[in-house]
Amino acid sequence: MTGSQTAAGAQLLQRFRARAVSFSKPRLFSADILLQFAEVPAIVRVRQGSVTEIIDHRVPLQSSDFSIKGTAQGWTKFWQAMPEAGWHDIFALNKRKEFVIEGNLQPLMAHLQYVKDLLACAREESA
Amino acid sequence: MTVALEPIIGRYTSFDIEGKRCRVYFEEAGSGIALVCLHTAGADNRQYQHLMNDPEITSRFRVIAFDMPWHGKSYPPAGFQDTEYRLSTALYVETIMSFCRALELERPVVMGCSIGGRITLQLAHLHSDKFRALIGIEAADHQEPWYDTSWLHRGDVHGGEVCAALVSGLVAPQSPEVHRHETLWQYMQGGPGIFKGDLYFYRVDSDLRGKLTGIRTDLCPLYLLTGEYDFSCTPEDTIRTAESIPGAKVTVMKECGHFPMSENPERFREYLLPVLKEIAG
Repeated sequence: MTGSQTAAGAQLLQRFRARAVSFSKPRLFSADILLQFAEVPAIVRVRQGSVTEIIDHRVPLQSSDFSIKGTAQGWTKFWQAMPEAGWHDIFALNKRKEFVIEGNLQPLMAHLQYVKDLLACAREESA
Repeated sequence: MTVALEPIIGRYTSFDIEGKRCRVYFEEAGSGIALVCLHTAGADNRQYQHLMNDPEITSRFRVIAFDMPWHGKSYPPAGFQDTEYRLSTALYVETIMSFCRALELERPVVMGCSIGGRITLQLAHLHSDKFRALIGIEAADHQEPWYDTSWLHRGDVHGGEVCAALVSGLVAPQSPEVHRHETLWQYMQGGPGIFKGDLYFYRVDSDLRGKLTGIRTDLCPLYLLTGEYDFSCTPEDTIRTAESIPGAKVTVMKECGHFPMSENPERFREYLLPVLKEIAG
């Protein structure tokens, strides 16, 4: 693990946490989602459509339903107020190998727009 | 009191496609050169309503958009309940040719998006003498798949929701919110398994790489317009395709995604109007 990647990941997680901690939509969706920002992982706990907890300390053998891991560049460009073409959607990022989406994808696909909106909540405000 | 009616008229017509009677819904507006519009996979002809409400287009073109059988307001053919819908290249070509014959259209312009764009390439290859011009929007001879289509039709995932959520990333972020969500609503309303069935054509049955020889763009001009935010059919896919077709004209549309006529009609018309002007001569 490199120091610069860890620092960048920690900053990205902090930015995500600030917005995601109050994320809520009326949807019957519960899952533990593993997100990774550069080299920094976190579990986002969703219960009944609300983010209830973001666990960023490392716990051995921690389980999750699915994971979305992205490079620092991927998250940073994804969160631009007006992202560039090819950096604007999680599947575009997956296609260009900046994001890796893994695990049991059924809960992701069953609640895909919710998850997309959750991940985009840290996007910069438009001017 | 004046009733504010749009100029769009919707009608049904019935004709055979591969031996099966199909009752097909279409909408039209305008007069002049027939411009037949093909919707994207899993959607319907509402994608072209902005064009049909554009006097600058309808003053010179009779814009006609039909719902393919199984889509929108066109029912599947009788007996569909015992079959699985799968669009093939041959069925798609036959559907378009049958519709044009049914409406007695003489050398219409055909414009299609996504699967509709791909099929314009095949029409150019097989039937360029039958068309005045062809316009492929988000069209390429092949493109790399970016998800497993089995997600589109299974019991534990809502089909309409997942179809819309998947394609939501293909809408450019600059597109107006109202049109973005109208476009996604079209996907939410598709019949079960229909988007997946259309993509059989796209993913399995229509790899046209190396098969587009002999296209005569001098007889039937071919225009290819692709949005810069389309990561499914990328501008690079379209440019590569055009390089194999002498005379094909490519435009990359800034701030547009995979559904330009539906997601950002104002921006799209900036690119389409010069093409239609050239076609109209």
